[in-house]
Amino acid sequence: MARPVFWRSGAAAEAAPRVSHLDLDRPLVEAARRDPARFDALYRRYLAPVYSYAYYELGDHHAAEDATEKTFLAALANLDRFEERARPADGDGASTFRVWLFQIARNVVANERRTARRRPTQPIPENALIADPLDVEGDMIRRDDAGSAWRAVGRLAGDRRRALVLRFVDEMSTAEIAGVLGRSEGAVRVLIHRALRSVARDLEAEPESKEWRAPRA
Amino acid sequence: MTLLGRDVGEVDALVTDRYLDSLLAGRDAYLQPAHGIDEAVRLVSRRLAGDLPRFHPSFRFEERLALRLAEAAATMRLPLAAGGERDATKAPVRLRTSWADPLEAPDDEEHVDPRPFLVGGAVAASALSLAGAAWVAWRRRGPRSPMARAVRAAHQARAGQALRPAGHRG
Repeated sequence: MARPVFWRSGAAAEAAPRVSHLDLDRPLVEAARRDPARFDALYRRYLAPVYSYAYYELGDHHAAEDATEKTFLAALANLDRFEERARPADGDGASTFRVWLFQIARNVVANERRTARRRPTQPIPENALIADPLDVEGDMIRRDDAGSAWRAVGRLAGDRRRALVLRFVDEMSTAEIAGVLGRSEGAVRVLIHRALRSVARDLEAEPESKEWRAPRA
Repeated sequence: MTLLGRDVGEVDALVTDRYLDSLLAGRDAYLQPAHGIDEAVRLVSRRLAGDLPRFHPSFRFEERLALRLAEAAATMRLPLAAGGERDATKAPVRLRTSWADPLEAPDDEEHVDPRPFLVGGAVAASALSLAGAAWVAWRRRGPRSPMARAVRAAHQARAGQALRPAGHRG
């Protein structure tokens, strides 16, 4: 089993489930290595998270689809290079398939940005919030509070934005985010804390977001 | 510096991290504002946890990419089905390293010349060498039988006549 470094702080009583979570993909990865056709199970599991991450980063459905496709094709082609590191003998650079996959996604998205000559700090465009009337996602985004939260996160710079998306959308642990972003866990904690303060200030400044201050039940 | 050598920012970040763990795990015990977390951070965390949407691509895209991955997987499986491509592709390298010069660059392709006609050339060269070696050995070996001595004497006499000028023959 993995080590305490993966434990979510404040959740010592549930340490074991958190650790096993990191080893969750091992059987699927081993099956895919034996038979590449079995990669489909990993693909189905992580399609939406990878696509979500790409969409938050690129702000465009087509660009997010391209990035998602490249990510999974690269993961399949390089599956032999993946090393499961959630073992006691490994150091702080522990890794799982999910972290490895998101490292690939991060690189692919960075290449997409360079290709499209997008600025990393560009906010998600306003027209991305106008979705198809039949689109359930778009309907949710059109809510003012969701839209303003999304815009505030989109205005964050580089790794602050990525860290918040990985934490809140993909619900990764600090250790996993540190693996994806190539930073220490302490640095990621500070990054997220500062990002939250920045978003809080941003939302307070938005005139239409007064009601968010009242905590919901 | 405050707690165990950490500065205030790190401590605040640690408290926020613990709060986020509890918030995202859906536990209410840490959702009260009595745990030292910054109120603005607590409120915005709750809002982001509830409001940031997750996206799923279209099912058309999902199935199209699944098909493409299956095709890619099939191309990866073909060599395996043919009997284990990895050993087959590595075999020439293993054979070469077994009897090549250890100081030779392992990937130096100039020395790997598997042209088939070299086999025939080597056989011919070997046959000529064997014939030459036999002839030298026969020339150096002393005569052991009367018949051999007679043959050698006749050969030397014939060679002496050939070397003599034409006017001195006879």
